[in-house]
Amino acid sequence: MKHSFIDRYAALDSPLHLLDARTKLLGFTVLIGAVLLVPPGKPFAFFAYFFLTAALMGISQVPLTFVVARTLVILPFVLLAGLALPWRTGDGWTLFSTLLLRSTLSLILLILLTNTTRFAELLRGLRKLGCPRILAMNLGFLYRYLFVLTEEVMRMRQARDCRRVGSARPRAEMKLLGSMLGTLLLRSFERAERMYQAMLSRGSSGDFPILAPRRFSWRDPAFLAGLGLFIWMAEFLT
Amino acid sequence: MHIPDGFLSNRVAVAFDAISGVGILLSARRVKLEASARAVPMMGVLAAFVFAAQMLNFPVLGGTSGHLVGGALLAIILGPVPAVLTMATVIIAQALFLQDGGLIALGANIFNIGGVTAFSGYAVFRLLWRNDGGGRRLTVAAFAAGWISMVLSAAGCAVELAVSGAIPLRLGLPAMVGYHALIGIAEGGLTASVLAFLARVRPDLIETPRRVKLGAGEWAGAFIFVAIPLLILALAGSSSLPDPLQKLIEPGSAPSAKAGDAQALFSTLRLWEYSWEFAALVAVIFLVFLAGRIVHGGKAHR
Amino acid sequence: MTEYAVRITRLQYTYPDGTKALEGIDLDVRTGERVALVGPSGAGKSTLLLHLNGVLTGAGTVRILGKALDGGDLREIRRQVGMVFQDPNDQLFCPTVFEDVAFGPLNLGIPQGEIPARVDKALRDVGLEQSMRYRSSHHLSLGERKRAAFAAVLVMEPAILALDEPTGNLDPRNRRHLIELVGGLPATLLLATHDLEMALSLCQRLVVMDRGKIWADGDARALLSDSRLMEEHGLEVPLSLRGH
Repeated sequence: MKHSFIDRYAALDSPLHLLDARTKLLGFTVLIGAVLLVPPGKPFAFFAYFFLTAALMGISQVPLTFVVARTLVILPFVLLAGLALPWRTGDGWTLFSTLLLRSTLSLILLILLTNTTRFAELLRGLRKLGCPRILAMNLGFLYRYLFVLTEEVMRMRQARDCRRVGSARPRAEMKLLGSMLGTLLLRSFERAERMYQAMLSRGSSGDFPILAPRRFSWRDPAFLAGLGLFIWMAEFLT
Repeated sequence: MHIPDGFLSNRVAVAFDAISGVGILLSARRVKLEASARAVPMMGVLAAFVFAAQMLNFPVLGGTSGHLVGGALLAIILGPVPAVLTMATVIIAQALFLQDGGLIALGANIFNIGGVTAFSGYAVFRLLWRNDGGGRRLTVAAFAAGWISMVLSAAGCAVELAVSGAIPLRLGLPAMVGYHALIGIAEGGLTASVLAFLARVRPDLIETPRRVKLGAGEWAGAFIFVAIPLLILALAGSSSLPDPLQKLIEPGSAPSAKAGDAQALFSTLRLWEYSWEFAALVAVIFLVFLAGRIVHGGKAHR
Repeated sequence: MTEYAVRITRLQYTYPDGTKALEGIDLDVRTGERVALVGPSGAGKSTLLLHLNGVLTGAGTVRILGKALDGGDLREIRRQVGMVFQDPNDQLFCPTVFEDVAFGPLNLGIPQGEIPARVDKALRDVGLEQSMRYRSSHHLSLGERKRAAFAAVLVMEPAILALDEPTGNLDPRNRRHLIELVGGLPATLLLATHDLEMALSLCQRLVVMDRGKIWADGDARALLSDSRLMEEHGLEVPLSLRGH
């Protein structure tokens, strides 16, 4: 069973992949923030960010088709928001293009962040940047058990499809789904209980120890400095 | 319902990031204080459960399909504070894995889909359900909890978008609330049928009044996540609105304010000054909660 | 070195919902001995194993390597008792295989500098390649996951191994590998299993459990050949012993 929807490109080797997770988390968040702060009516700033994003996309080696496909998801929101703009006063186009650019660019940047960093690294970076331990542990367990549960869900789906005869009546469908979800829930509880026992058996008292940090090379401050410079230029020179 | 980046104005997004951030820190500390060792694998696995459960689609009217959101369900089983933490985990994971919902908008999404659903669902369930073993009552209470959690969180979403100037309330509120009132039927139905299943197989898991003590945290959460959105909804529904607020909900206010403008941030959100009706509404909501507490207070102690 | 690795006296355990799981178990295991625990599903084998490192506590006494469980340092006992559970998915919960195997040593306070070497050795011992270190366990096959779970326990160098259905759902080749692996380890072994051929090949002593009690305790070969005993407790005589 493949679960490639999450981590597919995180194991590549581009220069972006080699950066420390903390650098990427900080850098991309700041970049997204900068994009969101550009007021409407400053096309040059947007163009600058657009080119930077495209450059980052190229460097990351994440396939274009993948990025585009993920970005399309945002269209319904954009259209809905577009309906409400004051088209009659002519401001409409400016606002619409602002909205489109902001949302698209920030989405692409997020896609790049998560697809150039292995989840384990991302978690470790979050933890070192001050994320509460419980939240980081939850995320780690979620990531790990998502795959186990996904397999169970797929099996349950198959079993359900094997036994379904005729068209589905909503009420019966709901009841069946309720049982499936309930069973999945119970199995989750039981698995959590067993996992807790396994953790205890390996000497844990509930905490999650973190291994020593990996590499933090010259690339990291260089990346951040470069970003800072770019943003400064985009803000003040346009 | 996950809001992507770029739709909320920066001041709104950052305000909610702050609220949700504080909420998460407090919840984390709270969970840590109470039996964390066992609770953490539980929450993690349940987070995975919610994430996976959202993959089980259920056909609703013609091409669309709905899925279980789970805030109300988790709150009924775990209690509202752990539920918020668990849902926050799911929402963060959805943003990171599927880019469903933006990064800067995480605070708002956690607020809506985690906070509002968990607390409103729990409040409704707690008010309607009595532990007398009656099956029908459980179904009704669970259905109501699920449905209201969807409607309120959609309202919250619409209001955030409106205050950001992205989608005015005239358009956003009916669209979001209307759609989610429909989807809410599925949420209510699924919440009810899962709980009915659990009531048959593991009834010890639903005894929330016995296990969840209503402490300061729960009340604060109820106020923030439920009373305020209700207030705002009532606001939106009333016919005469104060002028500053009226201006807020006109279309076209550009989504561009700078995040550093704290003054502006508070000036647009200073709702409590406007009218005694709002104070009255808040008081009523509080009284309802208090009444619920008193009614259940006797049963909560064995 | 103590003579008895495990001494269990009058152990009783009841689940929170009231079911009696263990009713008066007495079991002594010598250091270095290999004992197979067999019996029908629901007999209480897994429950018994969970008492060995204090995850479950029942009435009665349990002494591990001479130390009582209620007095002692649970952490040290948990290092000495390597428990491998039935489902590897329950034991592989870290983002990468490396971290899963390192989990135990880290909890026990082993200095971080020594850990990579230990992890690598454990992985090699179970037959997993170095390249697997940074993969997430969901990318591994069931056989590989079972091996990773094993490594996560072996890395702590336990004196006693408690294995719960180690060959469950394994294909023949992986099963063979696992049996060879366990056979080569010096630790005291308690093996709960339905795989009676494996029990026969690895253990000299056999304990038959059913409904929370021990019904037979003695030479593996002799007991496994006793067809009446086997059938009474939901088992059967292994193929290799039939018709001789």
